[in-house]
Amino acid sequence: MKEFEYLKPDSIKKTISILSQFGEKAQILNGGTDLIVEMRDKIIQPEYLVDIKAIPQLNRITYNKQDGLNIGATVTLNEISNSKVVQTHYPILVKACKTVGSYQVRNRATLAGNICNASPAADTAPPLLVLEAKVNIIGPTGEKIVPINQFFTGVKKNILKKGEIVTSITIPPIKGKWVGVYLKQGRKKEVDLATVGVAVVCIRDEVRIALGAVAPVPVRAFKTEELLKGKTIDESLLEKAGRSALTEVSPISDVRSSQEYREEIIKVLVRRAILQAKGGHIL
Amino acid sequence: MLKYVGQSALRVDGVRKVTGFSRYTDDLKLSGMLYARIKKSPYPHAKILKIDTSKAEKLPGVKVVITGKDVPIRVGLYLEDKTFLAIDKVRFIGEPVAAVAAESEEIAEEAVSLIEVDYKKLSAVFSPLEGIKPDAPLIHEDLGSYKHASIILPQSGTNISNHYKIRKGNTEEGFKEADFVFENEFYVPHIQHSAIENHCAIAQVDPEGKITVWAGCQSPYTVRRTLATAFNIQLNKIRVISPAIGGGFGGKAGTTLEGIVIPLAQKANYRPVKLSFSREDVFTNTFIRQGMHARIKTGVTKSGRIVAEENKFYWDGGAYTEYGVNIARAGGYASTGPYDIPNVKADSICVYTNHPAGGPYRGFGMSEIHFAIEQNLDIVAHKIKMDPLEFRRKNALKDGGRTVTGQVLENVGFVECLDKTAKDIEWDKRVKKVSATKYRGKGIAGMYKAPSMPNNVGSSAIVKINEDGTVNLLVTAMDLGQGSDTALTQIAAEVLTIPISQISIITGDTDCTPYEWQTVASRTIYCCGNSIKRAAEDAKNQMLKLASLKFGIPENDLELKDGQIISKNYPDKKVKIADLAMGLTMPDGSGIHGPIIGRGAFIPPDVKDTDKETGQGDKPVAFWTFGVQAAEVEVDIETGEVKVLKVAAAYDAGKAINPELVCAQIEGGIVQGLGSALLEEMKIEEGKVLNPSFVDYKIPAIGDAPEMKISIVEVPEPTGPWGARGIAEPCMVPTAPAIANAVFDAIGCRINSLPITAEKVLKAIKEKKK
Amino acid sequence: MKHKIRFTINGEVKEIEVQPNKTLLKMLREDLDLIGVKEGCGAGECGACTVLVNNKPVNSCLMLAVEVDGKEILTIEGLSDGINLDPLQESFLKHNAIQCGYCTPGMVMSAKALLNRNSHPKEEDVKEALAGNLCRCTGYKRIVDAVLDAVKKGGGK
Repeated sequence: MKEFEYLKPDSIKKTISILSQFGEKAQILNGGTDLIVEMRDKIIQPEYLVDIKAIPQLNRITYNKQDGLNIGATVTLNEISNSKVVQTHYPILVKACKTVGSYQVRNRATLAGNICNASPAADTAPPLLVLEAKVNIIGPTGEKIVPINQFFTGVKKNILKKGEIVTSITIPPIKGKWVGVYLKQGRKKEVDLATVGVAVVCIRDEVRIALGAVAPVPVRAFKTEELLKGKTIDESLLEKAGRSALTEVSPISDVRSSQEYREEIIKVLVRRAILQAKGGHIL
Repeated sequence: MLKYVGQSALRVDGVRKVTGFSRYTDDLKLSGMLYARIKKSPYPHAKILKIDTSKAEKLPGVKVVITGKDVPIRVGLYLEDKTFLAIDKVRFIGEPVAAVAAESEEIAEEAVSLIEVDYKKLSAVFSPLEGIKPDAPLIHEDLGSYKHASIILPQSGTNISNHYKIRKGNTEEGFKEADFVFENEFYVPHIQHSAIENHCAIAQVDPEGKITVWAGCQSPYTVRRTLATAFNIQLNKIRVISPAIGGGFGGKAGTTLEGIVIPLAQKANYRPVKLSFSREDVFTNTFIRQGMHARIKTGVTKSGRIVAEENKFYWDGGAYTEYGVNIARAGGYASTGPYDIPNVKADSICVYTNHPAGGPYRGFGMSEIHFAIEQNLDIVAHKIKMDPLEFRRKNALKDGGRTVTGQVLENVGFVECLDKTAKDIEWDKRVKKVSATKYRGKGIAGMYKAPSMPNNVGSSAIVKINEDGTVNLLVTAMDLGQGSDTALTQIAAEVLTIPISQISIITGDTDCTPYEWQTVASRTIYCCGNSIKRAAEDAKNQMLKLASLKFGIPENDLELKDGQIISKNYPDKKVKIADLAMGLTMPDGSGIHGPIIGRGAFIPPDVKDTDKETGQGDKPVAFWTFGVQAAEVEVDIETGEVKVLKVAAAYDAGKAINPELVCAQIEGGIVQGLGSALLEEMKIEEGKVLNPSFVDYKIPAIGDAPEMKISIVEVPEPTGPWGARGIAEPCMVPTAPAIANAVFDAIGCRINSLPITAEKVLKAIKEKKK
Repeated sequence: MKHKIRFTINGEVKEIEVQPNKTLLKMLREDLDLIGVKEGCGAGECGACTVLVNNKPVNSCLMLAVEVDGKEILTIEGLSDGINLDPLQESFLKHNAIQCGYCTPGMVMSAKALLNRNSHPKEEDVKEALAGNLCRCTGYKRIVDAVLDAVKKGGGK
């Protein structure tokens, strides 16, 4: 690992000023589970590493009925999984967090880190997309709120500009009864990257669908959602939904899976996730 | 009555390991240590035009830079085809062309990046089927001049480094006799051992030129011999010490890093040099399992008797096959699996390719050939509408049966293993469809394996009796995790009739512990065990002689019992081992004999070469180990995922010296076999390994382990200690074909290549539907 | 530039200077000679380097040494007092849940963390907690048995 300077600001203000000053030369250190490996492999070689874990207000989970759930940038995936409010109100998020890496990794990795890393296969991205999460960003020009589906801009790329950091992620409240499902296909059941990830949320007659690892960025399948809206779910509609979802993504072949297999799995998981969210069984 | 042998003693190395106290090579820190890195080839096949090391040499902190010209002597275990650093040409991506020793790893790494190498690319070979073509690019132009063992038959002017032939009976006649003839093809990819400890070696040269090497290695003496050849040094001037070994599985059986650290250390002004491989290095720069293409033609009668078989195995040996050539030989002399077939023609051919070097991997070719043999058998059974278990029973090798080399076998426990396994997996019961998308199936597979080694290689042991009657047991069989330290101690305890806690086993130092060829081939309990038994008996006999003098009672009226020599007739005539340990003190105060040191040596009896043209021979191997596994799987027909629910296994261990450790070995073998069955494949494109890390090369984790039911069968091997045979490698051999057969049972699709990924299964299901 | 950091390691307060680009794993092994902590992949995939930081298991290869300033670390060396083994260690011994021993320290530390947070884990909990600890030798069955038996013996206090 190349040498760098380690900085540990204790406020957001200081962080922004450091990031603004050093620009590309600086990199935020949060959980570090991707960053440190990339630095070891010399894929990235920052000159300044800015550890944001000493900033007290970033390490909170808050919840209320009006604003929903707010998860600070440095809250780890295990803290989310173990949080009573998240378990009660957003079990889909718990499920997704638990599929990321190993228990050890989840003790370090964060939700903000998972999305900032912007891997197309990020497990927490599809659930955040269907939950219509908002990313809270602060930068030199002030605060802004970006809907999650505008946050990802390409493979390993996000919308953040020089000097900006994600401070938290907000999941707005969902009125009435709803069910969320996250299904993941990997080469193995545990500690693996998704070859396809599908999140579905059913809110009354509305179905929201998002997919991971099948396009340069995690995506919402809006057309497919439109197709399902208000309709009674039956086997033929489910099949249509699977085929429709395929048209909204662009899976590739890589060392983890072929394009053809990803396409098959997208259809299966979309079908299964909708069915499960609607209270049916996966056979 | 046995007191220690056959007991499940706790591991003698357990406390050291569970406290993290065990020292592995990378844990050693010597004063003045330098750190090494290697410069690797970016091309699979290329001529080296020029190497410029001047910039690296000038970097502050760099102490030594070497290239191929510093290690010019070719070495190899069975075929001397490699140098430790490439000379003139590179043959795989990652091959070391230069090495650096520096004050820190970071400096060494930077120095390596400053070495400039000019190459001229050559056309390359990426499959053995390409490599055997007459117009294929030659990977080793000088193959004809390489030294090799007499049992290996390289073909000059080709890429074939060994061709083992079996010509038993008359296959032409046999196929005429057959009612049906079937042909099938199978493929097994390269995989990697993935021991959790990465490879590491340290070397230091003292002012008298004596070299000490520390390396976690399975074979300190063989490493010493190879290094002595490579550096033209007397054996007494080189000392190989193996600290604790964090898993081997064959991956630490050869000599690799040691040959790079020595030339660095020779120029390092007596400072020690350490080379630690990263996980990524291990994937490309240590042994990998050879790939293999198999073609099997089977002639069978209506009644289910296999009358002829023609087998072709093409091994993807990689860039260097110094060790792999013998895997092809093993594949040849075991070519039909554990079945008695009168007419056999087999060709097992080791081919050079521009892949990383193939080498020994738990099973030594048996996992690969049995994947083909045992699936083929299942296919044939189904075609002739016979139960696969019954078909196996019918053709199984039994007492008096003949192997493919014509060897007549006795004491065969194979059918017993088949029966036991079938019972444990409840072969007769089937729940096929669990839900609309989940199908279950059961599959069974047998195996046999013999230690593949030169006929005349030996083992030795020293039993030193201490003044207080405790014992230091010295051997160079290495405990890689399999538990040999414990079982070997039990063998000494049994003969010496003293508790295990009174024996300390010391291993792995060629200056101190006695000769052992290698810890490979599942030969340790048998070979080293026999030598220990003899050493302990030697010590015992010396003490009996002294006691006989002491009491004036003939030796055969005395016995060693519970740590003392006692008269069979006069129980009050007894003397403790401690009182004879330093010799016998006579009534007049004088002493005789001196300290008791027992020595024992062993070479497997009567093992002889086979005929070069027919492969026939009465006893080509020391012994055969038979085993069977059966698996139950559940297949998701929409995703193609295979989950292994249960595996039952039975092995004929002859005599389990430590039954719990035997079971532990089998469990570990099953899960390693499951990895090769479902997950593991080195994805190599144009010679480049695309998945050299655990991110994309997945090995089984805790959730992948199935329910396991293990049985030990004990049909004694007459030449083994108390009848014991080796079982370490056989444990993973039948897992993959058992799973493949279970997948077929579940969904009616054959997956003829490993690994059986969800993707392949789903594709097969879709094709079947068409 | 080196950073001065202060932390508790196996019950003892330490103050040392480290380069920021040094991982916790390297600091433990190279500077503190705690070589029971093993490196198997350097990328957070194998779990051999697992230690507890503030009672939570982490891959020490994925953490910088400077990040443990003010924290409490437990490694395998701190688990037994040199005379008595931890009940988990006893249980690993008894069940032959060890072969080559290289994954064992990380495996034991992950299990220790589990028992610290859950005094009555079920088999699924054990599997979840140890999913990130690769073992190539044992086939895992005995490891599960060892942890569950340690729970029974009161190891999960």
